[in-house]
Amino acid sequence: MKEKLEEIKTKGLEKIENAKTLAELEEVRKELTGKKSELSAILKSMKTLSPEEKKSIGMQSTEIKKTFENKLQLKEEEIIENTSVLKEPIDLTLPGKKVSGGALHPITQMKYDLNDAFLSLGFEVYSEDDISSEKYSFDNLNFPKNHPARQSMDTYWIEGTDDKEGAEKLCLRPHLTGGSVRYLLKHGAPARFVYPGEAFRNETTDARHERAFYQYEALIVDKDISFSSGIVMIQTILEKVFGRKIKTRMREGFFPFTEPGYEIDMECLVCGGKGCKVCNHNGWIEVMPGGVIHPNVLKSAGLDPEEWTGFYINIGLDRLVMMRYGVDDVRLFRNADLRFLNQFK
Amino acid sequence: MRVSLNLIRKYVDLPKDLTDEQIAYDMTLRTVEVDEVENAGSKFHDIVVGKILEVKEHPNADKLRICMVDVGDAEPIQIVCGGSNLYVGEKVVVSKIGAEVVWHGQGEPVKISKTKMRGELSYGMICASSEVYLSDFFPTEDESEIVDLKDFDCKPGDSVADLFGMIDTILVIDNKSLSNRPDLWGHYGIARELSAIYNAPLKKLPEYELPKLPEYNVEIKDTTKCNRYVAVEIDGIYEKPSPMWMQSFLSKVGQRPINAIVDITNYVMMAVGQPLHAFDKTHVSGERIIVRNAKENEELLLLDNNAIKLTPDDLVICDESDAMALAGIRGGKKDSILPDTKGIVVEVANFSADTIRQTGKRFAEKTDAAIRYEKGLDTQRVDEGVNLALRLIKEIFPDSKIIKYTDVYPNKTKKNEIKVSEKFLDTRLGKKIPQEKIEQILTSLGYEISLKNGEYDVIVPTWRSTGDVTIKDDVMGDIARILSFDSFEPKPITITFEHSVIQKDALLERRIREYLAFRCGFYEIYTYPWIDEKYIDIAGIDKDKSLKLEMPPAPNLAYLRSSLIPGMLEAVNKNLRYYDEFRLFDLEEVYEKGDYRPSSEDEILPVQNNYLAGSIVGKDAKEIFYEAKGVIENMARYCQMEEIKLEKIEKPAWADINAYLNITKDGEIIGSLGLLSLKVMTESKIKRTNVAMFEINTDKFVPYASRTNEYERLPELPLVEKDLSIIVDEEVTWAQIEESIKSKAKEIEFVDEYRGDQIPEGKKSITLKVKILNEGTTMTSEQINERINSILKVLSKRCGAKLRED
Repeated sequence: MKEKLEEIKTKGLEKIENAKTLAELEEVRKELTGKKSELSAILKSMKTLSPEEKKSIGMQSTEIKKTFENKLQLKEEEIIENTSVLKEPIDLTLPGKKVSGGALHPITQMKYDLNDAFLSLGFEVYSEDDISSEKYSFDNLNFPKNHPARQSMDTYWIEGTDDKEGAEKLCLRPHLTGGSVRYLLKHGAPARFVYPGEAFRNETTDARHERAFYQYEALIVDKDISFSSGIVMIQTILEKVFGRKIKTRMREGFFPFTEPGYEIDMECLVCGGKGCKVCNHNGWIEVMPGGVIHPNVLKSAGLDPEEWTGFYINIGLDRLVMMRYGVDDVRLFRNADLRFLNQFK
Repeated sequence: MRVSLNLIRKYVDLPKDLTDEQIAYDMTLRTVEVDEVENAGSKFHDIVVGKILEVKEHPNADKLRICMVDVGDAEPIQIVCGGSNLYVGEKVVVSKIGAEVVWHGQGEPVKISKTKMRGELSYGMICASSEVYLSDFFPTEDESEIVDLKDFDCKPGDSVADLFGMIDTILVIDNKSLSNRPDLWGHYGIARELSAIYNAPLKKLPEYELPKLPEYNVEIKDTTKCNRYVAVEIDGIYEKPSPMWMQSFLSKVGQRPINAIVDITNYVMMAVGQPLHAFDKTHVSGERIIVRNAKENEELLLLDNNAIKLTPDDLVICDESDAMALAGIRGGKKDSILPDTKGIVVEVANFSADTIRQTGKRFAEKTDAAIRYEKGLDTQRVDEGVNLALRLIKEIFPDSKIIKYTDVYPNKTKKNEIKVSEKFLDTRLGKKIPQEKIEQILTSLGYEISLKNGEYDVIVPTWRSTGDVTIKDDVMGDIARILSFDSFEPKPITITFEHSVIQKDALLERRIREYLAFRCGFYEIYTYPWIDEKYIDIAGIDKDKSLKLEMPPAPNLAYLRSSLIPGMLEAVNKNLRYYDEFRLFDLEEVYEKGDYRPSSEDEILPVQNNYLAGSIVGKDAKEIFYEAKGVIENMARYCQMEEIKLEKIEKPAWADINAYLNITKDGEIIGSLGLLSLKVMTESKIKRTNVAMFEINTDKFVPYASRTNEYERLPELPLVEKDLSIIVDEEVTWAQIEESIKSKAKEIEFVDEYRGDQIPEGKKSITLKVKILNEGTTMTSEQINERINSILKVLSKRCGAKLRED
């Protein structure tokens, strides 16, 4: 009897060991510990034995049962650990499922990046309409009457108004600066605001020139401030856009609505300032004009230039986005071509 | 403008250790951007004077000769040459091996190397003028005519660059950058800037002592247009070339040498910025010059016998009989210096900028004189022009004689006077600049200044008083730029917190874009405000309300958008070449004739609204329609704005006859949604796909000031869900089904719609999910069935629905 039990134990353990799946293991469990198991049969046949034998065989059977249960438990854990939820093999090199597409235009992204930077500095975001008048586009901004920018060669005038003057002569705004006077007339000073938007100029287009282009202008108007504060603003922007400090320089520039005016160049990121084709071999790239708001512009905005001053900066977003991604043709921005736009998601 | 540093150095003693690049850099930062620093001599490397020792026939070519040429080296070199004017003893220009020349005067320079020409070796090239950048000095039509240096004092091996005065550096400046600075249109003005930048003394221009002379008869009829007119009659002038140093200078600064008199006038203009004019004295009939407005239908005869039509606005220089020149712009036939010229009348005048600009507009090409006058020159500059011109004439025509002189001077440029307080300068510059520094900068720029009680009395020099410097800010600007803007340390901006920046509208605009791009899978496009008329017509947009451009980029692009649909249509069409399923959106302004006054009463603008257009392109028309509908339905919630509704009211022109909805806000139609009609798709050649589009006036959206939805308590017991498939008539709408059982369920969800085999004709199967709230305790299955049955009963009664039994 003892030998028989030993045999049951050995064979049983072997079966447990050989089970590969949970289902197989379940079969083995039934076979070894179920009502119809050999072990049960032995226990049932014990009636005929002596009490000593009963005790000894009983103990042995119980122990074997416990061993089986332990082993089954361990085996089950082992199988679970080594079993995949998948019934079939899986090719891990197959591509994952596509996520839904969609993207903001790269210029919009840049605009929002800048908005975030300026909002953190307490600026407001303002926008003006695309169509404006000669008065707000030129007269208010100290453009002389005969300035070439006023000609049809430069500005898109609206049909039927081109023989009129000032507030009655309408155009697609040639720059954003007119919006500064609108804002100041409405809100007064001190003021600190940005006004992103598109401007339009009659140009011959090529890879570097467009008829419609996105600008981002910022203006601070306050008392007793110096133009050198403008440098901080410029550096903040470039740092935000490029994620690190960018070397800049300020040089003489002239715009009717500023005095003094300046041009801000940044070091060419393509060659690191050594000089290359992109920067016309001088190491610098013109990124934004700026300047101290001209007293005549303040007057147009109903402010006393003796009391108030301020400064502008104006960033060409198309150019900046081109630098950010290395885009080599400005016309791609308004081509509505998904092959281009889906690169910016 | 091209600036010769050789001439600049004659006017100002620049620091010795300064490189040309540094000069350009300092000028760029402080005065005007220098586009390029050009080494005028570098292109002449390995180009030397040679002397022909021997000329032989070429055995294999009729037109070629074999020359032995002394180029100053130990041995003469053999050169095969096709020149038509070769002779022994001729001094020629030789490009040695390594030199770069322009073949036949055209294209990019090519490097000279040892070559075999028809079997004979050639170690260089004997050059024609156009091949070695010398056309200015040797103009010739015949490209086989090589340069003969017989009139030059030179020997074999001499550098050609040196011989033609080309050892120089040219600063190239874009004329546009100079438009606000009339004083910089001559070398002397640039020299003055450099003298201020480097604190180096500027030399005085030479004077010319005139004896007492009889007057030339000059009359200015319109003194508002001509501020000064000096006429000098000089005898002993004839047509001859100017000296090489002058030709060389003119060639380097981009003026072609012509003859001594023309060259002198051009030289003076390039040196001091004052345009000059010379008339052959015998052409001035009546020995009298009249400056007057042109008469109606008057003409100016040109040298080529063409005539320019004049208008009474044009100012002309006339003799007793007719017009000789268009004042300040160009001369006519009468002012030409010809081989028979014996004497001249020199005009040094000042015309008002407006006159020149007005007349100049009619001519495509601006002359150098016109460019300068229209910037506004000071009348005092005439003196500089007269002095320099007379000195040069005396030098180049030593036998010439000044006979008559007149200076009619009705208007003198007044020096502007400006008061600038120290406090103003300190505040606006952001730091205190020492008085001596301010005085040095302003004085070297030509200002006269004196400081009294904390205030500078600033007298502006005449050359900056024609509009350039008028207010104290201009003076401050001059100080800042000469110190260099870069030398001012960045000053942090102090911020006073008064209120937080909350801009609901700006925020909403961003939420809409981000909702569409990030949640709904749309790509944002930018379109132009001018729209291809073809697409406006296809979309059926009414053009009567649209604005047009006076000078559109192209004839078909004259209309400005009053809707974003045509532009969207074009964008969809373009992308269909590469993709068959995609989503686009465009958020921009559209314009319509109207009365809108955003800033002041006098300014009437068209109505301008922000519109949003979107398109979903895909094969299954119904599918994309419902996708687009979903985008609109969820917009209000996700973008945090007041509710918008979808109702079928009025078909937009571009939409399908059945599949469209209007978008409304408080009962007003603010946009539409629909499938593109078959007509629009056919006309725009969209095939094998369908397009759902929407367009909304987003200015009608009302953003919430903050989030508004209220928290709803979570149910204590789970909802009971049940899917029901019912069969109804085609005419029964989902809205009717939903409405009928609204009161009987907590939630009703549409699952799907089906037409097919098991469904009779004219009917459709709808599957919906109803969710019922457990009340108090968990319902038993009997209770649930009872509730469902009551729902089915209502559906049957109100919608004629039958439960589908499959």
